[in-house]
Amino acid sequence: MSTDTLSFIAIQFLNGLAYSLLLFLLAAGLSLIFGMMDVVNLAHGSFFLIGTYVGLTIVRVTGNFWIALVVTPLLIGALGLVVERYLIRSLYNRSPLDQVLLTFGLAFILMDLAKWIWGANVLALPAPAALDGSVALFGGQFPKYRLFVIAAGFVLAVVLYYLNDRTSFGAVIRAGVADREMVSGLGINIALVFSIVFAVGIGLAALSGVVAGPIYSAFPGLDFQVLITTLIVVVVGGMGTYKGSLFGSLLIGEVQTFGQAFFPDLALFLIFGIMAAVLLIKPAGLFGREAVA
Amino acid sequence: MIVLVLVLLVLFPLLPSSYALGVLTDVLIFGLFAMSLDLLLGYTGLVSFGHAAFFGVGAYVAGIVGIYGGPEIYFTLPAAIIAAALAALVIGFFSIRTAGVYFLMLTLAFSQMVYAAAFKAPFAGGSNGLAGIPRPTLGFGLGFADSIAFYYLVLAIVLASYWTLARLVASPFGKSLRGIKENESRMRSVGYNVQRYKLAAFVIAGAFAGLAGALRAQFNFFVAPDTLYWTTSGIALVMVIIGGAGTLIGPALGAALVQVLQNLISSYTERWPLLLGAVFILFVLYAPKGMIGLLEQRKQVDQETSTQQAKSANAL
Amino acid sequence: MSNVQLTRRDFLKTLAVGAGALSMGSLLEACAAPAPSAPLKIGVLLPYSQVYAALGQSITQGMQMYFDSVNNIAGGRALTLIKEDEANDPQGSLTKTRKLIEQDKVDLFTGVVATPVVYALRDLLDSSKMISLISNAGGNDLTRKRKSPYIFRTSFTSWQVASPLGPWVYQNVAKSVMIVAADYGFGHESADAFKETFTKAGGTIVGELYPPFPSTDFGAFLPKIAAAKPPAIYSFFSGSDAANFIKQFADYGLNKDIKITGSGFLVEQDVLPAQGAAANGAYSTLHWALTLDNPENKKFVDDYKAKFNATADVFALQGFDTARVIVDALNAVKGDTSNKDNLLQAIRAVKFNSPRGPFVFDQTTQNVNQFIYYRQVRDTGGGALANVVLGKTDQPVVDPGV
Repeated sequence: MSTDTLSFIAIQFLNGLAYSLLLFLLAAGLSLIFGMMDVVNLAHGSFFLIGTYVGLTIVRVTGNFWIALVVTPLLIGALGLVVERYLIRSLYNRSPLDQVLLTFGLAFILMDLAKWIWGANVLALPAPAALDGSVALFGGQFPKYRLFVIAAGFVLAVVLYYLNDRTSFGAVIRAGVADREMVSGLGINIALVFSIVFAVGIGLAALSGVVAGPIYSAFPGLDFQVLITTLIVVVVGGMGTYKGSLFGSLLIGEVQTFGQAFFPDLALFLIFGIMAAVLLIKPAGLFGREAVA
Repeated sequence: MIVLVLVLLVLFPLLPSSYALGVLTDVLIFGLFAMSLDLLLGYTGLVSFGHAAFFGVGAYVAGIVGIYGGPEIYFTLPAAIIAAALAALVIGFFSIRTAGVYFLMLTLAFSQMVYAAAFKAPFAGGSNGLAGIPRPTLGFGLGFADSIAFYYLVLAIVLASYWTLARLVASPFGKSLRGIKENESRMRSVGYNVQRYKLAAFVIAGAFAGLAGALRAQFNFFVAPDTLYWTTSGIALVMVIIGGAGTLIGPALGAALVQVLQNLISSYTERWPLLLGAVFILFVLYAPKGMIGLLEQRKQVDQETSTQQAKSANAL
Repeated sequence: MSNVQLTRRDFLKTLAVGAGALSMGSLLEACAAPAPSAPLKIGVLLPYSQVYAALGQSITQGMQMYFDSVNNIAGGRALTLIKEDEANDPQGSLTKTRKLIEQDKVDLFTGVVATPVVYALRDLLDSSKMISLISNAGGNDLTRKRKSPYIFRTSFTSWQVASPLGPWVYQNVAKSVMIVAADYGFGHESADAFKETFTKAGGTIVGELYPPFPSTDFGAFLPKIAAAKPPAIYSFFSGSDAANFIKQFADYGLNKDIKITGSGFLVEQDVLPAQGAAANGAYSTLHWALTLDNPENKKFVDDYKAKFNATADVFALQGFDTARVIVDALNAVKGDTSNKDNLLQAIRAVKFNSPRGPFVFDQTTQNVNQFIYYRQVRDTGGGALANVVLGKTDQPVVDPGV
């Protein structure tokens, strides 16, 4: 292989990595909410988009990207607490159909609210000046901001791993995913855990929104575009597991990037084809538990 | 009562508003689409997020056959039904191997692939859609170009389909489906080939969805790729849930409500997605069994009050 | 079993009530006969939700501004706008257009942003003989293969906007070009039109890329462009795709060595704020520019800013001109909409100086014949980016109609 091709592949690999880590933040939240509470949150993409909008408003007001990065997930996470208390709570133990309808309805409402507040035009969330522009890499140029996304995503992946695997809270989550009744039987306030889990999941979505903002901008319709890809990642990876979210994101992110680079005509097919293929071989996803028939 | 309403449906075209007739035609078509999904959802317990695939396949095939072949109804409708049934056979064969959320996502994946194909296919009009689809004809110069005639065609087909589906769900086959929905492992242990029943239900549902799609393409003289998009599958699910799954009639009602709401609200306010979303949420929170559930509740309350009145009358 | 019977009865009861309501409404509608000086009803189908909502809003504001300037009176009759949401849904739009035609009984129809929607409506408008002024959808066929004597277009065709750029780019920008366009009907039409005239002028196409429509991330395609090292690209994207493509193009440092050329929508005023400095220097063609130097445009831009506190864009301009066509034609027939032939003739004969230059309909295709402007994105002071006009076509560009 020529150095040109090698460098092309290297750059695409980095592209895919940045994309994968963005997906990971989204997928981790969605997977967590499903794994713990058995709720399919079709409004997840909407919280992502609201995160981008709120983030850009904070940047406009304070002029500081980093403040937006920290504050937005906290704000949206708080919103998540409210939503969980008054809407999602009614869904536990109800059929997935009801969840689909309720979260679908919520997605519609959030989408319209966003359009009401921020308007219908595409809005930019500017990256911090330090991360503007590109660096020479592998014989080409690669955007500094996407390197930041890779780095930040990696850090978050490690943090989440630590929380999931090494803390008692993480243990409660993992236990709850495996057997909810048992956890509650141990005297743990499961309602509180659920609220926190939902808020964290939503917060992660919003964080992803701010991080993605300088690349994707904010516009009506982004919520549903993102939702579909996230659902695919979560399903392919296996719902409810950290490993599933991580490897699912990496797989889908890299496949979609290389697919678009080498087979652009098949781009629309590819990602769904992968999902179908994985589900047919491993119906519960790569790292998921077998669905009880 | 039934006779009265059927008479109303038959006499409806006598009213001067051709727009209202058009809305009713559309409602009947979506009612059929929703009923076909109910067979899967309400009776077999298969939650499909890809039912639009068969709706769309039926629409496109009816359109393509109508334009390139001939508008005769003996070609277009059967072609659409067969094509949709075949698509359901293939997609169902692979999807039935999974269950629950994974089935949901797999059906979504397949229908998005069909969408991608329609979006790119030049003979199907590509992203611009397929225009110029003819109304069906009977040969000998007779056709359904007239909106009243077409309405009667749709009414007849939808009523016949409802009758067929109702008979189907009441039959032993239908009872087996319900058994599978309630307790699949029990059915299996008793010796039922559960996969085959599920696949059969999937194909039948797909065929009726294809029929609905064909009628819609002929009604509008047009079909666009968004017929196959996942949001169409989503709206169908919403119609079934809001109407009341597992009742056949419920989804038809749900279809009417959602169609009317979508068109009505958007005429008055830009904020219609907000209101529509609120309606969905209200249904989930306060009417979990859908519109049929609400009607049943009211009937029960009526019954209780009349029994009360009878009791107190007797006591006197 | 009895339960099922009850619910069926109730279902039918509800249906009866619903049918009754619908019929009452339509009976009342039919009884009301329009008086001769009754208000003129204009049906407006534009997106107020979904992805093109910003365009729908712009066009509506442009229309409203012109109608307000004549006190909402044309031909001696008051004008009422009946708006419906296109919602980027061709089939839903059919239902709503039927409502406008059959229930609201509008005298004129206007709007439509998306080409698939206008193709869905074409047969209905034609068979209902509904005089229609399409104020955006630019698919070539509408005024070619699918034209109708009742349909006019006050906006553009994709061919009209793209083809003048070919020879101009060859002479002024680069002799070879890579094409990057959104993979859907409009993207391909635009690219094809440019390809034809560019290669005829002697240019070479070094490659063609068609990212899926819609796309948010062009990261997989940008290194391909970099690898091919073309001196320039010809690009078509609009809306959020355009915003993200141009931004990401700059993120990858491609804008340093590769010149950007494209159909005007790539860098129009609706997406320039989001693109920022990344769009600087981009060349494009369009039938209007914010900086167009004529008295009508200056007034249009200033009035729009004063009324809506927003920068005008080509979509607002299209709405504005459409409203003017309606008013001028109605004035010419003195408000008499009963004679369709007269009204059609009056519309065909409309001629005025628009902010975009001289406005006149092509008598065969009923598409507008107009100058196309060569523009470049520049900083017009204080960081405000706008398309500066570098020149215009020698003659108004006439769509061939075939």
